[in-house]
This record gives sequence, C-alpha cells and structure tokens, in this order.
Amino acid sequence: MRFPALLALVATTTVSFGAEDGAQVYNTLCVACHGPDGKGLNGLPPLVGSDWPKGQAERSIKIVLNGLTGPVEVAGKAYNIDMPPQGAVLNDEKIAAALTYVRKTFAGNAGAVTPELVKSVRAATAARTTPWTAAELLKDHPFPAPKTALLNLVGTMYKGEWKELPDFSKLKPAQIEDENTGIISPAQSGLKDAFAMVWTAQFQAPEDGKYTFLFDCDDFGALYVNGERIAEIKGIGPVGDRRKEVPVLLKKGAVPFRLEYVEFAGQEVIILGYKGPKDKDYKWLSDSKLGGAAKAAAKRAPIPVEAKDGYTASYRNFIGGTTSRAIGFGFPNATNLTYSADNCAVELLWTGKFMDGAQHWVDRGQGNAPPAGDGVVKVSDGMVVAGPSAPTGAIVSYQVNKDGGKGTSFKVVNEPAEFKGYQLDKNGNPTFKVAGEGFSFTDAWTPADTRGSAGLARKIVAAGDKPVTIVLSRGLTVQANAGAFEVGPRLVVRSLSGVAPAAAGPDLVLTLKPGESAVLGYSFR
Amino acid sequence: MKKFTLTLLALLALAPLAEAQAKKKAADAKAPASKKAAAGPEALALQDKYYERVQIPTPPGEVVEVSSIALLPGKKVAIATRRGDVWVCEGAYEADVSKVKWTKFASNLHEPLGMFYKGGSLYLTQRPEHTRLTDTDGDGKADAFDTICAKWGINGDYHEYAFGSEPDKDGNVWVVLCLTGSFHAYSPWRGWCVRITPEGKMIPTTSGIRSPGGIGANEKGDMFYTDNQGVWNGSSSLKWLRPGSFQGNPTGNKSSLLSNFPAPPEPQSGSRILTERLKFPEFVPPAVILPHGRVGNSPSGIACDMTKGKWGPWANQMFVGEQTASQVQRINLEVVNGLYQGAVFHFLQGFEAGLVPVRMDQEDGTLFIGGTNRGWGSRGSQPFTFERVRYKGTVPFEMHNISARADGFEVTFTHPVDAATAGDVANYSLDTFTYIYQSAYGSPEVDQSKPTVKSATVSADGLKVRLVVDGLVRGHIHHLVADGVRNKAGDALWHNEGWYTLNEIPAK
Repeated sequence: MRFPALLALVATTTVSFGAEDGAQVYNTLCVACHGPDGKGLNGLPPLVGSDWPKGQAERSIKIVLNGLTGPVEVAGKAYNIDMPPQGAVLNDEKIAAALTYVRKTFAGNAGAVTPELVKSVRAATAARTTPWTAAELLKDHPFPAPKTALLNLVGTMYKGEWKELPDFSKLKPAQIEDENTGIISPAQSGLKDAFAMVWTAQFQAPEDGKYTFLFDCDDFGALYVNGERIAEIKGIGPVGDRRKEVPVLLKKGAVPFRLEYVEFAGQEVIILGYKGPKDKDYKWLSDSKLGGAAKAAAKRAPIPVEAKDGYTASYRNFIGGTTSRAIGFGFPNATNLTYSADNCAVELLWTGKFMDGAQHWVDRGQGNAPPAGDGVVKVSDGMVVAGPSAPTGAIVSYQVNKDGGKGTSFKVVNEPAEFKGYQLDKNGNPTFKVAGEGFSFTDAWTPADTRGSAGLARKIVAAGDKPVTIVLSRGLTVQANAGAFEVGPRLVVRSLSGVAPAAAGPDLVLTLKPGESAVLGYSFR
Repeated sequence: MKKFTLTLLALLALAPLAEAQAKKKAADAKAPASKKAAAGPEALALQDKYYERVQIPTPPGEVVEVSSIALLPGKKVAIATRRGDVWVCEGAYEADVSKVKWTKFASNLHEPLGMFYKGGSLYLTQRPEHTRLTDTDGDGKADAFDTICAKWGINGDYHEYAFGSEPDKDGNVWVVLCLTGSFHAYSPWRGWCVRITPEGKMIPTTSGIRSPGGIGANEKGDMFYTDNQGVWNGSSSLKWLRPGSFQGNPTGNKSSLLSNFPAPPEPQSGSRILTERLKFPEFVPPAVILPHGRVGNSPSGIACDMTKGKWGPWANQMFVGEQTASQVQRINLEVVNGLYQGAVFHFLQGFEAGLVPVRMDQEDGTLFIGGTNRGWGSRGSQPFTFERVRYKGTVPFEMHNISARADGFEVTFTHPVDAATAGDVANYSLDTFTYIYQSAYGSPEVDQSKPTVKSATVSADGLKVRLVVDGLVRGHIHHLVADGVRNKAGDALWHNEGWYTLNEIPAK
C-alpha cells in the first residue's frame, strides 16, 4: 500500500515542477480559435501552414505574452482580428509547454521552447502593455527567407537619369552585388532617384510547361526570360495600369533571366512574379507583391447593399466621412445619402453604388466603411441647427478631447437640437425628425429627377412656437445661378416651393417659422 | 532541486507497477478527484433524456447571426441579427419546425444586442442608441424608427458593444456599454451601466464594466450581466448591477465627471478582489465567478427560470449562455450579508454555434437560443444558429444548489440521495482558489487551498446534505466535486461538480 501513496506525491509534485502539459494548455485556451487540429476554426487563423509559429520562438512568445492586433497575413490569407494576451494568465512554464506543443505538432517539428527563454522575453518586454502589431513582430523576428526560383542573382547598379531604357553595355556600373535572397528590390541600389539596375540570374523551372510572368514597375523596365524580351514597361509612371502578364513555355531546368530597370524619380517599385504549370497563385521574385492591402480587400467578396424593387435601402453602421451615428440611404435612382444623427444633418451625398457591407459583416467588422459610389460630397460637418443651446440643458452631448489615447477627456456640451428618429414611407424613403427647445422639424428625402438628371427632393417642415435655422451646406462654395445654388464641386440645390434658402458666405442657410416649409431639389453635376 | 528530480525519476520508474493497484484503490473508494470532465461526452449522451434541443431553420439564403431574441404575442418570436436585420418567426413553438414562416421586419440596423416587445412595438438596443420600431401602417414592416436615447459615446470601434435588458418594473431599460477595444474608454460612458427611462432620460447606474456578453434580471428584478475575462477580470463572471456600485474595472471612471455620479474607486492592481472591495464599499464583487477554461471562456446571455417547473426544477435559477464552448451553464444565487453569491454548474451543451442571446418563455418553458461565431471561435461549428430547448419532464440527478453555511455548505439534490454514499465524506472533494485582481489581461488561479470535509449529514428526506468543512476561505471559489454520491436508484450525478463563489461566510 505504500506505492499508491508515493505515486500521489509524485503526481502532484511533477505538475508544480515544470512538466507542464502543453497539449492541455492548448486545448483549454487556444483550441477555440486555432482548432484541435491547428487549422483554425470558423475563419480564424490557422497554425498549420503558417510561418508564424516557425523559426525564432521569440516571435510566438511575444504574441502569447501581449497578444496581437490589427492586420496580419497568415498562410496567404489576410485577417484583421485581435488575439488576446495570455501573459498575465500563463506562467513561463505553461507558455513554454504550449508553444513546444504547437511547434512540434503544427509547425513541422520546430524546436522546443524553454521556460528560460519565455522568462527572458517576458523580462525584455516588461514595459510593453499593448498588443503587438504584425509589422512590429516581423521587423524584429522576420520569417526565414525562402529560396526563390532565381539562382545566382546578381544586381548591377548604374547612376544617371534616363527616360527610356539605355544600352547597358555602354554604361559603367556603380555597384555590383550578389543577392543571395533571390529577391529583387529597388532598395538594393541604395538610391531613391536617378538610377538603373540590371539583375541577372538563372531561373529554375521545376518542370516542363507554361509559365506566366507578371511584371510591373515604377518607373520602367524590361524582362528577359530564356534570352527573349517577354515584357516591357515604357515611360515614367506608377505601378497599376501598365502591368504585364506574359506566358512563356519553358523546359525543366535553369534558363537565363535578366531584368532591366530604371528609376527616374519619386516612388520606386518592382512587382515581379510567376506561376508555374501547377501553381494557382503567383510566387513572388520581388519584395513588392501585387496588392497587399488591396489584395486582402479584394479577397473579401463584396456584399452590395442596394435598393431593390423600387424600395430604398438603408444601412446603419460606421460610415467613413461622417460621425459614428451614421444612417445611410441608397435610393433606386442611384443617389445616396448619409445622415449624421449626432449632427441632425445629411452630411454625405453621392451617386452610383450605395454601400458594401463586407467590411462590417465579415470578421469582427472593424472600422468605417466608405460609400461605395462616386463623387461623395461632404455637405457639412458639425451640428447644423443654429440657435441658442437648450436653456434647461435638457439636450446634451459629450465632447471628446483626445490627446493621444490615454489622455482622453470628456466634456458636457449643451446642444440646440437632437435627433428623434425617422419614418419610412411605402418605398422606404426617410423623413428625419429633429427637435429642440420650442421647435421641431421634419426632413424628408425622396428620389426625384431634376431636369433629366437623377437627384433628390427634400422637404423640410417646421413646427412648434419658435423659428429654426438650418445650415444646408457648410464651408463649400455657394454660387447663385439662374434660381439655383451651385454648392461645391458637383451639387446643385434648387428651391422648388415654399421658403427659399439663402447663401450666407460659404454656407447655404434656411430659416423656417413655425408652420412654414421648404421644398428643395438636389441634383448632381 | 537536482536531488529531487532524481528521486522523482526513480519513483516514476516504479509507476507502471503501481498504476494498476492505484487505479483499483481509486475505484474502490470512488475517489472524488475524478478527472472526468463534467461537460464531457458522457454528460452530452444523457442530455437527450432530460432536454430536447431543436435547431429552427433560419430564412433560406440569409445570413442570420442571431444577436437578440424577443417574444411577441401570438407565439411569434422576433430575432435580430448582427447585420442588423429583424425577422419575425411564426411556428417556432410547433413540433415540426420545418414549416416555420419568416417575415423581415427591418433591415441593416446597427448590431442590435437586446430586444423586447412592448405595446405593439419592438424596442432594440442598437450600438448607437435605444430605438423603438413600429409598423404604423400594418404592412408587416417597421416604418417608424424612434430614437429613445442616444446619450452614450461611440467612436467607430468594433468592440464598443451595447447590450440592453428587458424593461424593469419601472419601465427602465438597462444598458451595459463595453469599453473601447475592451481596453480603453475613448468615448463617454464606455465601461458603464446606464438606465434608459421610457422618456429617454439616461441614468448612469454603475461604473466598472469591461466587456459584457449579456444582461438579465432575476426573479426579484435585480439586474445582472456577464463580464468577460480580460483586464481587471481574472476570470469571466456573473455580476450584480446594484445601482451606484463599482463593478471592478476602473478604465471608464472618468465619465463620472459628466454627471453627479460619485467618483468610482481607483483600486490597486495586483491585489485581490476581497482586499479591494473591503476598502471600497461601493465595489460589488462578482456574484458568481465562472472559472476561465473550466466552466467556459466567454459567457453571454442570461435567462432566469420563472416557469414554475416547466423548465425543470430550477425555480429562480439563472441560465447563462457560453460563446466559446457553445453551452448553457446553470447558476444558483443567494444573498449573504447583502451580497449575491452562489454556484455555477455545467448544464447543456452541443449547440451549433457560439451562443449569444438566450430568452426564456416563462409561460411555456421554452428556452430560445441564438448564436454566431463570426470573429470569435466556438466549439459549435456552424456560422450561426437559432435553437429551442424544452424540458422533457424527467428530473436529472443533479446538485440543485449549493448554499453557504457558517461552517460549510448545504447541498440540495434533485433526487433523494443514497444515505451511504452521500453520507461518506470521502465522496466529496473541495478545493479553493482565487485570481489576481489586476490591470493585466486575465490571471492565473492563485492562493489555492484544500479544505477538509469533516462530516456529511443527510437530511431525513434525503434531499439535502450538510457538509461541515474545515478551512473555508472568504473571497475564494470553492470547487466541490461530489462524484461518488448516488441517488437511491444508484445513479451517479449528471454533472458532478460546482464552483461556489464565497464572497461572504454567513454568521451562525
């Protein structure tokens, strides 16, 4: 009977002396997001196939200690979510055990992590209180550079100003360097403007078949594969519209590769990639890749929010260019507005597409989604109802003074008016309701064509026992022209009936007495 | 250290030999420290015997990430979604839910987390405001969207959630406002609970909130919310929103300057909740801590059982959704020295997504549950779900509740117990722990202790067992495992453990 008693002693003491069970920690805290198989659950980032848990363990330790925030690319997919910090929950032994388990199980047998290493990273980052960003971590702990298809890459730099490709055989090199990374970058010149570079290498084709090369640059250059000039970008200009995608048939083995490049002035960018016979995605031979952030956004399939069957669409969320309490309406005639409930005002007017829901309806929905259409006019900024503040202080808002995050302070501000909601008509068109001390008004918007062009009709009706003054546009140029006002670059406001607005310097202003109304036509130039 | 390791290795070498013996011994004694997870597959296998869980088909082709549930007259149920749509379901109570009919009531509102029906309208707590939605022309679609109150700050951060309650006895709606990014207060009233009167007045009610997952009242009308593990929260918990109180997170304190609310406490980081709340009388400690990783990771919606037995024998107990584990936990509450405390037990599991809203039909005993796992992972693997759970009428053998006594606990069971097993102290195991109360994110379990169960006395009716305990620790979570206890039929407990938060030890 002695053995069981001794065993019990062993069992309890083992735990407290460091033989932490990494799998258990993983399956308690990590599994909900990264999944039991490390492949990520419900659209959250995987560990399998990711470079993040591989290589320098400091990178992973920092993430576990303080968390990770903001955009991050994992296994070729873009994410924008937060990983909560675990440094205050887990001791060094538990973190070491969990990471050892992750590296062994999901990261191709990457080496074990010791509690001593966790301890030293914890000490070195003790001052850090906020989560890391991916950029910070990769700066200090880059992924090991993968081998590319370019063998024996050599970069030769020439100084000078050219507006078309020179005959390099007649130039004198200013610098020649081996680029063992197999990656091409304009930064290898060490210069910002007025230089040219030529890279030569052997391109290793892993098999016979069709290879597609993608090439773009700022400013210009030419790509040679297997002794043939397959692509050329001409003239001074940015990346984007001039991008080339060229197929080439190659035999398995090494073929000569040459890239000529000239930077005249401004930005310097080279985008160069290829797809082999079996590749779905481009493999990059340059430090810049196609897209980046743009690629991530493109991968998020748009979720168009739009008017349907003559019924106006609405969208309440964070909309770029106005305040947080934003209410968007997209009319069937492809005119759109966003109302700021904070400022009792239509603040944005635009044409074309209404909104893309993908930013808020995929992942956690971070940030403001901009209007999806064209020619957004910011009509005003700030409260538009003029008049004395509510004498009773009944209508208040809060002013936020930001002096760098932590120093945020708040102040009570008495406001002259507050938003009371809106009513939709049979076709989903809104009438906004606003009230203040002794007055109220309604503000109705319907789609209407004005002289053949798509626009909106607006009807404002005042009630109560005091007059109200409303700023219809603020800080834009207001030009009276044949009974209409040209407001800013593309808006035309026309009085159709009732009280007419008046220009007051850079503002367009409407004053209504109780019972009065104004009908206005809005069109876009 | 080195010597110890050698001894340890030597003992380990003997382990296989002794293992069988040890196992046998453990089985014979029905050793209480069972490693069996109370929320594991065995408990799930039994669940169908007691509760019927039905997934209700959502509108075809629509993304219905359920964020709020409201009960309407005529056995209709309204749900709101994270995309801001409001749908009305007919047939959610029927035996055959494949025939449910859905009508869209409103579209694209701002992430509503809280909804109820009153006087012909639906009231929604949207992210920026509390709103009344009315169908004034009777076409089945909302056309009046009246802003009742929009007096709290928001700045565009995705984490600034607003969870709203059903109205209290005065008609006020309680709204808990998540911190900015769950770490900061960059807008007014973040980290506060406010009450919205029917006239739209906003009454700041408590400070100290971090990241709520749901809000709901008990049978007395006292309001509770769930707060998630993170800064100043060593673990998630169910908290009592006593008006005027501080809930433990000082991040949003500065908003008190905007009203005549007294300045909330500035507690010491690295301390313990008990230490700090004894310094500050307005600091109401969590009623029941839901130990992180053991009970769940992310509590959400709250429902109180006032069904008079239709939901099972759980009168006035609280049922809390769990986002990460896709479960529902059960909580019994009691008041000791003016503070709520009590025990949490595992209860239902196997839901299809991460749970957010729960809504009990108190007349009918049906629990409606909604879920989504967008942005936060969950055990249930569907992107969203709408479900209903009903009690089948068979009382499971459970610890009905744990109640604190001056010298231990009284455990009430749902079945009369077998006096031999229930009266044997060897069939109970108690351990205690707490968390560091700190400004860092979460905490390890600390200050562990192991009280001794000195006696276990079974009541005459066999429903109660009085445990006299040596070593109760005020402020600690007391984890009670009653694995060896059997009912008269010889059945084991459905769930064999509970976690009691002992804020106060009652006087004799």
